[in-house]
Amino acid sequence: MTAPVSRRQLLGYGLGAAVMASIAGCASPGSTAVNAAPTIPPAGGKVTLTYWSWLKNLQKVADIWNAKNPNVQVETVWIPASNDGGYQKLFSALAAHSGPDLAQIEMRKLPAFILVNGLVDLSRYGADDHAGRYDPTLWNQVSYNGGVFGIPQDSGPVGFFYQDELLEQVGAEPPETWDDWAALAGELRRAKAYLDCFPLSDPSIFTAYATQSGATWLKTHDDGWSIDMTGDATMRVARFFDNAIKKDLVTTAYEPFSPAWFSAAANGKLASITSASWADALIKGVSGAKGKWRVADMPRWGNAGYGSTYMGGSTAAVLANSQHPHEALQFATWMTTSQEGINTLIEHCGIGWSPCPDIIGESRKGPSEFFSGQSYNEEVFAPAVKQQNPDWTWGPLTQQTFNILSDQFRKQASGGTLVDAVARAEGEIMTAFRQKGLSIRKADHS
Amino acid sequence: MTKHLKYTPWVLMAPFLALFLLTFILPILAAVGSSFTKVRREGLFGEEGIVSEFAWFENYAQALADGGFIASIGRMVLFGLVQVPVMMLLATVLAILLESASARWPGFFRAAYFLPYGIPGVIATILWSFLYVPGLSPIIDAAAVVGIELNFLGPSTVLWSIANIVTWTYTGYNMMIIIAQLKSIPGELYEAARVDGASGWQVAWKIQLPLIRPALVLTTVFSIIGTMQLFAEPQVLSTSSTAIDSQYTPNLSAYTTAFAYNAYNAAAAQAVLIALAAFILSFAFLRLTNRKSV
Repeated sequence: MTAPVSRRQLLGYGLGAAVMASIAGCASPGSTAVNAAPTIPPAGGKVTLTYWSWLKNLQKVADIWNAKNPNVQVETVWIPASNDGGYQKLFSALAAHSGPDLAQIEMRKLPAFILVNGLVDLSRYGADDHAGRYDPTLWNQVSYNGGVFGIPQDSGPVGFFYQDELLEQVGAEPPETWDDWAALAGELRRAKAYLDCFPLSDPSIFTAYATQSGATWLKTHDDGWSIDMTGDATMRVARFFDNAIKKDLVTTAYEPFSPAWFSAAANGKLASITSASWADALIKGVSGAKGKWRVADMPRWGNAGYGSTYMGGSTAAVLANSQHPHEALQFATWMTTSQEGINTLIEHCGIGWSPCPDIIGESRKGPSEFFSGQSYNEEVFAPAVKQQNPDWTWGPLTQQTFNILSDQFRKQASGGTLVDAVARAEGEIMTAFRQKGLSIRKADHS
Repeated sequence: MTKHLKYTPWVLMAPFLALFLLTFILPILAAVGSSFTKVRREGLFGEEGIVSEFAWFENYAQALADGGFIASIGRMVLFGLVQVPVMMLLATVLAILLESASARWPGFFRAAYFLPYGIPGVIATILWSFLYVPGLSPIIDAAAVVGIELNFLGPSTVLWSIANIVTWTYTGYNMMIIIAQLKSIPGELYEAARVDGASGWQVAWKIQLPLIRPALVLTTVFSIIGTMQLFAEPQVLSTSSTAIDSQYTPNLSAYTTAFAYNAYNAAAAQAVLIALAAFILSFAFLRLTNRKSV
């Protein structure tokens, strides 16, 4: 006689099976390869797309599209910005095999979504036909493995914002090179002001400078990733700011656009900031700043590197579980390359620099009353877009890379150097790649 | 009839058990399973294949080799060693004072001390940050007038600024548990003590303290576990203090690993280690107090 299975045993088996099932479900995130499945044909009837984004009032832009396209209605849903909760929501939705058709994802975060098979390769839906209308540098940053994983939505070409009066006090013009910048910073220190701050806790700014200097930290190869954070281009920037911090030419006491920064800028203790085009809106928040600020080209690294660089920038990406990638792509390209799309994105959402070099947006043309009558967008940022490092590639671990860098940078405060910090960070980043199951090697210097 | 009765408790408990299994036991087992798994990817993003494999203790080794994670546990041990005794002392003193015969308006004060517990940790931290952030804080301004430069958010002080918020929130809660135990002390004991000529101090020291020991042990264990799980306060305060990094507390570290880096397996290993640490510390404390009572 076989022993009957007791209730307890049965419960145990059931529990075990449930555990195994749930573990199997969690174990391999992103194992459903959306880009290996057949493409989804355009829908026959009316479809409704959802777009998760942290842009305020985005629905007003979508409504303009909706009025003209009765068969493709777009509903926008606000999510918290980037790492403040938005990405967490998106990753959770993807893990649950759901989520919106479209989502706002920063350029630098796209590869992390590709890593979980979360994005539709839009080249399979004809995205390449639109490539010519976008800034080639940005298009390169959404292209991986021959695919296109997001439609550039905005970016942040960098310029030099400065307070005219403070520079005039020491009889200076905006610096053309970083060496001029250091000399000017010295002059201003004698006048008890700083030229700029250098945030140890936000390495995205250091990264932007290194990019300008000609660095391309990550490259893709057939056998995986290669990394080069200790090449001349990066070391030039690290040595420069090591020196600037040591000589007290920059302050590390606060970050750009923190309360302390605003107070220093308003009190004439901070003369300039090298930042992206979207900083104009933030500088307008400095009390009594109207008519005091101007914008010039970013200082250059002598004859090396590029004229400008980029900070920030995001895409409209189509998520893996979208049933209407074709329609989502149509909306995304309309929004980012049409005159009315760009104009209304600027008007309602205060979006960054247009990804479409031919259309900078009506409200960004002509002289600005705030910036002393200067047509700064046309004078500085439109040309800056054409002088950016075209080779830069974001890796799948940007957030971790930045955290590793800032942890290392903080040691600057206790006597470390940026040069050492970057070198140590490179090793830690390689370890992090391997812990993700990815292959990475040190780039060979030729 | 008897058979019927035999199943009744199970039927009545079924809704609870189902939810308990589904939302508590299963996630724990899934986390433990996940902590022994790793993923290997072929190609730049795994487009040429993703393999999940049994990792033995690799994720645990990774967590234990992570200086930031170990430092966060050390930081919480230091926090617990200082904050928990201070809070327990405060809660005990307040409870005994409110239960003493000479207390005025004990009901009002009991409610007042308990009130902070009703305020969620996130809100409490935002409220307190108005007293911590330079430029907003009247305390910092007032100290500056008399020439003292205060920095509540610096690398060496921010931990104690968090301890202050936690103490403010939970002292009243612990006080309530102790008061409940004080109320269960039979009146005859007090009468007997008075007849024997015991002073107020002696009553507190010789009668009340020994009899509220179980409540003290219980609340201390809760506090130790709570310390290991500190999350909301440093998370919210990190927006005003650069001294709080992404691995400031063990839970913040696991959160960052899971939701900023998407490394769920490594985060699961960290979570299991946090649970183990809380278990060991609570158990050590219980052993310590049991030995004393023998």
